[in-house]
Amino acid sequence: MIEAESLTKNYGSVTAVNRVSLSVAEGELFGLLGPNGSGKTTMIRMLTGQVRPTAGTARVMGLDAAEDPIGVRRLVGIIPEQETPPSFLTAEEYLHFVAGIRNLDRVRERCDRWFDLLEFRDKKDVLCKDLSRGTRQKLMFSQAFLHEPRLAIIDEPLINLDPIVQRTVKDFLQEYVRDGGTVFLSTHILEIAEEICDRIGVIHNGRLLYAGFVEDLVRSGHSLEPFFLDLVRGDTGA
Amino acid sequence: MHSTVFGSRGFALFPAVVAAFAFFGSLTLPLFSDALPYSAVALLAHLFFLLAGLMVGSFGLAGREFMNRRFGQISLVAYASRSLPVSERRIFAAFLAKDTVYYILLYVLPFAAGFAAATPFISLNPALGLLALVSLMLAFLLGLAAACFLSTLYAHSVRLFAGAVAVIAAVAALALRTAHSGIAGLPPYAFFIDPGPEPLALALLLILVPAAVSVLFVTVDYPDRKKRFRNSLDPLIGRLRALGSAHFIAKDALDLLRSEGGAGKVIFSFLLPLALVWVCLRVLIRFIPGIDPLVVFAVLLGVLSATIYNWLTEFDSFSSYAFLPVKVSEVIDGKLKSYALLGILPVAVLVLAAATAGEAGAFLPAFVAFISVSAYTLSVTVYLTGLHPNVMLYHAGVFLCYLLAISPALLLLIFASILDPAYAFLSLFLIPPAALLIARGRTRWQAWEMPGY
Repeated sequence: MIEAESLTKNYGSVTAVNRVSLSVAEGELFGLLGPNGSGKTTMIRMLTGQVRPTAGTARVMGLDAAEDPIGVRRLVGIIPEQETPPSFLTAEEYLHFVAGIRNLDRVRERCDRWFDLLEFRDKKDVLCKDLSRGTRQKLMFSQAFLHEPRLAIIDEPLINLDPIVQRTVKDFLQEYVRDGGTVFLSTHILEIAEEICDRIGVIHNGRLLYAGFVEDLVRSGHSLEPFFLDLVRGDTGA
Repeated sequence: MHSTVFGSRGFALFPAVVAAFAFFGSLTLPLFSDALPYSAVALLAHLFFLLAGLMVGSFGLAGREFMNRRFGQISLVAYASRSLPVSERRIFAAFLAKDTVYYILLYVLPFAAGFAAATPFISLNPALGLLALVSLMLAFLLGLAAACFLSTLYAHSVRLFAGAVAVIAAVAALALRTAHSGIAGLPPYAFFIDPGPEPLALALLLILVPAAVSVLFVTVDYPDRKKRFRNSLDPLIGRLRALGSAHFIAKDALDLLRSEGGAGKVIFSFLLPLALVWVCLRVLIRFIPGIDPLVVFAVLLGVLSATIYNWLTEFDSFSSYAFLPVKVSEVIDGKLKSYALLGILPVAVLVLAAATAGEAGAFLPAFVAFISVSAYTLSVTVYLTGLHPNVMLYHAGVFLCYLLAISPALLLLIFASILDPAYAFLSLFLIPPAALLIARGRTRWQAWEMPGY
């Protein structure tokens, strides 16, 4: 579903992502872990065609993300790191707006499903600018899955969500993957990866330090947090 | 903010561009002195800075939501009173002071410096440069104070605001009728023409009293407005479907209707400046009897109507669509269509101006001039700034390109229409470059990508 080959992104003299190669197979829940500023968001932006890589290629569902970003975004559900629904649309209107852009049918039915699943039906007629951060995140989650994509790319999935909704989201993502979906998420919260991810990658200073199955780590006697910390702290940038 | 967005050089050169524009513009004054006496040019300059002060004050207040969306309430200094032991009044007073210094350094000082540098070459006393600095500063502050005062009134009571506008309009009209050149109506200009304590004191009074009132009665939060709305997007989309880009046009409509300011935005950033321009022109015909104010007004209306594009882009950014299957060009197309629909407002203003001036005969050339200039100004704005005119125009390079693109066409049309209003039809030559710039702009901004470091 995702094939990244030597992806690199430079912003002037800063290398945000440095020759990262990774792949995500269909039906996987892949977690890209890294500390703040490690390049996770830039990776996601390249995979979704929001920025052009300086070098390397990213193919998502068979499409070159740099050459056909619109095609990628048509197929994939994306949740950006910072929620940005339009201030003066209500939550319901925003989902209808997204549904309209995506030419979806059964719009009311799709929206109702997400209002109920993430428990924010009582906020559907509130302007987005007046929603709490948590509710805005629920809204962004909803817009990403409204068109029932086969692949979801999510930057910090549980940010601003209360523990009850976090549980709901984790359960949903795991069920989504069991039903054939694929998830690529980035996070700096190790517990999420440990709990729900099949495979993880660790990125630091723009370089991919590790990629492998969570199960293999556990089987070899490693716990994720010390493994991650040793990896990151030991990274000399060589 | 601007130096961070543009880089230090891009922003620092902005005053240099203003100074250069003033310098070269001043050098051309002797060429037109027969048709346009220096006193008329001085009056226009003062009215321009009055207008600038009015618009700066309007954006500073009606543009709050733009700042909220860009930086969030938490980071906005104006909302520091919610978490720090500092009053809203003090914050607002500091903002007024900041705006005063900021825009004087950005606009007034470089303009006066450019004019002062030109005076030796056009046989004018260089001391006029210093006098211009003071009087233009007063004109700008008068506009700023008026905008702050009127918006404070508006925040408290729409009736009070309407009453104040009516009184100001009546006083201005009376001043214009009883004075030959608007001297009594505009104290900063009177001070420039005949420096003395009386016009200076009057100007300072007209600045300090409204400014003080607006600070004393400031209210950062407008009265609680309705926060829940039925789905209005779908019915709007249904009505607009035939136009294409229905989703974007409907969203723009809701942004404008529901944003705080709403009618205030229209009044402060569009109608009031236009009223001022119309007054300017009625004064100008005393110096240039042959001028057709309606055609000239239509040309200036075409330029000022670009403000509508600023409203439409105030609450939008490319990043809001970066994760959706939406091309940048589609967003721009939506904005252009919304702009065309809102064009009903400036057209209504033009019709009203024609009716009040009794110039039905000049309406057709005026209308053609307005449509052409409006389309051209919009196309230049779209090409140069994409969806961010409110920010991008403060980049020196962008601003210079904007001035160079707009000014020659504008000035040519105005002077041609002075010779004969029928020359306004020459404005139709602006349509092909407008179409080209729009097409190029759509392609250009398609290459935009999310900002990184």
